[in-house]
Amino acid sequence: MAERYMLEARGLTRRYGGFAALNNVSFALEEGEIRGLIGSNGAGKSTCMDVLTGRGKNPMGLVMLDGEDISKLSERERRAKGLSRSFQKTSIFHDLTIREQIRLAARKAEADNSEEVISELSLSHIADRPASDVSYGDQRRVDLALALVGRPKLLLLDEPAAGLTVEESLAMARMLRGLSERWKLTVMLVEHDMEVIFAICDRLTVLHLGEVLTEGDPESVRSNPEVVRAYLGSSFA
Amino acid sequence: MLIQILNGLVYGGMLYIVAVGLVLIFGLRQVVNFAHGGLYMLGAYIGFAAGLYFGFWGGLVVALVLMALLGVLLDYGVFRPLQDKDHMTTVLVTFGILLVLEDVVHMIWGADTISVAMPELFEGTIQIAGSPFPVYRLLVIAVAIIVVVGLTLWLRFSRAGLYVRASSVDALTTGMQGVDTERLSLSVVGLGTALAGLSGVIASPLMALSPSMGSSVLIESFIVVVIGGLGSFSGAFFAALVIGQVHNLGIVYLPNVSSMLPLLLMVVVLILKPSGFARQH
Amino acid sequence: MSNISSTSVLSPSVPSNQGFGLYLVVGCIVAVLGFALPFMGLPKNLLSLLTSASISAILATSVGFLVRQAGLSSFGHAAFFGGAAYAVALLVNYTSLPSEVVILATPLLIMVLSGIISLILLRTNGIAFSMLSLAMAQAIYELVMKWRDLANGEDGLRIRFAREIFGVKLSFFQKADTMFLTTWTALVVMVVIVVLVSRSNFGTLTIAIKNNEERARFLGYRTLWPRIVVLMLSAFIAAVGGTLFSMYNGYVTPSLLHWTLSGEALIIAIIGGTRSVWAPAVGAFVFVILRDVAGNYTTHWQSIVGLVLIAVVLALPNGLGGALTSFANRLGGRKNG
Repeated sequence: MAERYMLEARGLTRRYGGFAALNNVSFALEEGEIRGLIGSNGAGKSTCMDVLTGRGKNPMGLVMLDGEDISKLSERERRAKGLSRSFQKTSIFHDLTIREQIRLAARKAEADNSEEVISELSLSHIADRPASDVSYGDQRRVDLALALVGRPKLLLLDEPAAGLTVEESLAMARMLRGLSERWKLTVMLVEHDMEVIFAICDRLTVLHLGEVLTEGDPESVRSNPEVVRAYLGSSFA
Repeated sequence: MLIQILNGLVYGGMLYIVAVGLVLIFGLRQVVNFAHGGLYMLGAYIGFAAGLYFGFWGGLVVALVLMALLGVLLDYGVFRPLQDKDHMTTVLVTFGILLVLEDVVHMIWGADTISVAMPELFEGTIQIAGSPFPVYRLLVIAVAIIVVVGLTLWLRFSRAGLYVRASSVDALTTGMQGVDTERLSLSVVGLGTALAGLSGVIASPLMALSPSMGSSVLIESFIVVVIGGLGSFSGAFFAALVIGQVHNLGIVYLPNVSSMLPLLLMVVVLILKPSGFARQH
Repeated sequence: MSNISSTSVLSPSVPSNQGFGLYLVVGCIVAVLGFALPFMGLPKNLLSLLTSASISAILATSVGFLVRQAGLSSFGHAAFFGGAAYAVALLVNYTSLPSEVVILATPLLIMVLSGIISLILLRTNGIAFSMLSLAMAQAIYELVMKWRDLANGEDGLRIRFAREIFGVKLSFFQKADTMFLTTWTALVVMVVIVVLVSRSNFGTLTIAIKNNEERARFLGYRTLWPRIVVLMLSAFIAAVGGTLFSMYNGYVTPSLLHWTLSGEALIIAIIGGTRSVWAPAVGAFVFVILRDVAGNYTTHWQSIVGLVLIAVVLALPNGLGGALTSFANRLGGRKNG
């Protein structure tokens, strides 16, 4: 057990009227860890992402980044502290070229490693094209690149493999693993794609109906009967 | 005092009829129809021209029919083909149409103002609170009430009305419900433009015709729609009521700033509630 | 703001850097030619037309700039343009400030006021912004029309300029051939400013905010003040145009504040094209000259404008400027970027 965690979440809660999308969720990530956040649809994974990054109003609970309480900070301020995220629904800048927007992100980040990021994500050959002008898979990688720039302390990825082919997903997973090791990134990723999860995650946190069901390394989670029950019918095994 | 309020109702009534047409079109197509003021004007002129042959009421009918047809054309030829593009594109196209309409009216009927005679049946006055009050103005209020009631009933109880209300909230889902959305759109937009024409015709005996009448009503109906909340029918009703009273009381008590008041009200509303008075969708 | 790539007239893509050298050369040539114009013995009417056109070009540039950098279609720029003209008139006529001070200070004054109003205006986006700008500007129009004691209402105001301004006789600014030099200089300066701003990091940031404000925030950027700055700069440029107008004509009327003036400027900007910052200015010259020419053949100029607007919006989303650029790119064998 590490003395200090890179990310500590305690009692994360978000209600919509009487409905609790997230209920008292707590977990902690060590530096350099890759944590997968999984759960069936509606389990609260995206809500969890939003609360961690300060998206939306009235988040409840404590969020500590590298020992610092960031619960009350806006998304802009959290980024300044080193918390970066990508988006499930691709969120990039269509009128800017890929290079321009990555540089834009770099100017506000810890370090300017634009070119490194561009080559790591295989965007070099299209870097000077407007982002609207490239394939969906490329756009997903741009979304990811915008989050990766500057080597943030903590990277939150919301279904990075969404809409990608099997090869593209695995390539992305390998790249993420490599970068995390080289740059000592702490990563939390929400994913449905189990191949990606098992390819790179050190530990998994399982959400179900807004609460933490269980936590552990991939193998034990996979064979946990409770988890299997919660996922009944899904392609989990 | 009662007279003032009644006059405010007259103005508010006319404004409501034209503004609710805008709301119909906006709710359906998410487009602010800049041509609406031009349609109000065109309806008034057509009513006048046809009225020379068929009398006031005949002219009204002709105007309603033609404006409805124009609305169908507008939906078919402009709104529908452009529905996937940026809404601003359609707005600009309607702006272009407004310019053309104004020029066409100018070309056919000239730039001078034309006064329109009241229908004979309603020419007299009636004693209200000790003062004579034109019967025609009461008619205008009556027509407005009929429109309010008719629309409310239609929206609540007819399938088309249900569709319109649903569309205002979520156009995509409604489209998937199996309703023949495109055909319904044609009639709803046609209704919206016909209402603009209706307002123009019944307003014409009270306010002379001129090629600039479209622009001024356009701004006021925008104000009503925005204050009422883009897309809200009840909001447009209350807003028109309020603006009607403000407009009138303003003319009487604060003539220097009376025309500014509705505009300032719009600014205030937009500051406090960028979505207007409407309930949040 | 939508994430979907919009193909509308209001979403220009940033031109590639390759072409910049060419633009620079062409721009310089055009600028120099402009300075030479008054000395080429052109007929007075034409020069007068060109002077008016360059003032319109300044206004069109300001409107187009706001569209390009903030995605906002203003129907209220007459408030800045006409407002500046009226500010000059009122300050010159009713205060003892020297004309030079008034002329230099007015654009700055309007810019500051626009910054304050922007706190209200920028609470909205898209169509709501268009309507709000329309309403606010029209309120000012109504105020001026109705408050006769202040500004003489419909009849307008004659401006009692000093006989010499900046050490030069007043007539310098009111005769076409000499005033053209002033307005052309101003236009060139304004265009250079918007070119520099649009190509800067700040320009990139504002386009990013226009495309996707949320992601810009998640990258760590504040997103309100860049938009305020863009609006203020746009207002400043429009005010420069209005100030020049007041100097050239020596007379202001409420029509300078009417929303149709704003609408016309927006139309010109769109027909010229909002993809490039210089295209609205080109559109203005084409518009003003064509309007004059067409006046000899038809009284239906307004219909023509309406129809051309519709055609451009539907068929040429990047306006005439965009069409020109595409054509030039194709000539040069470059890929359209």
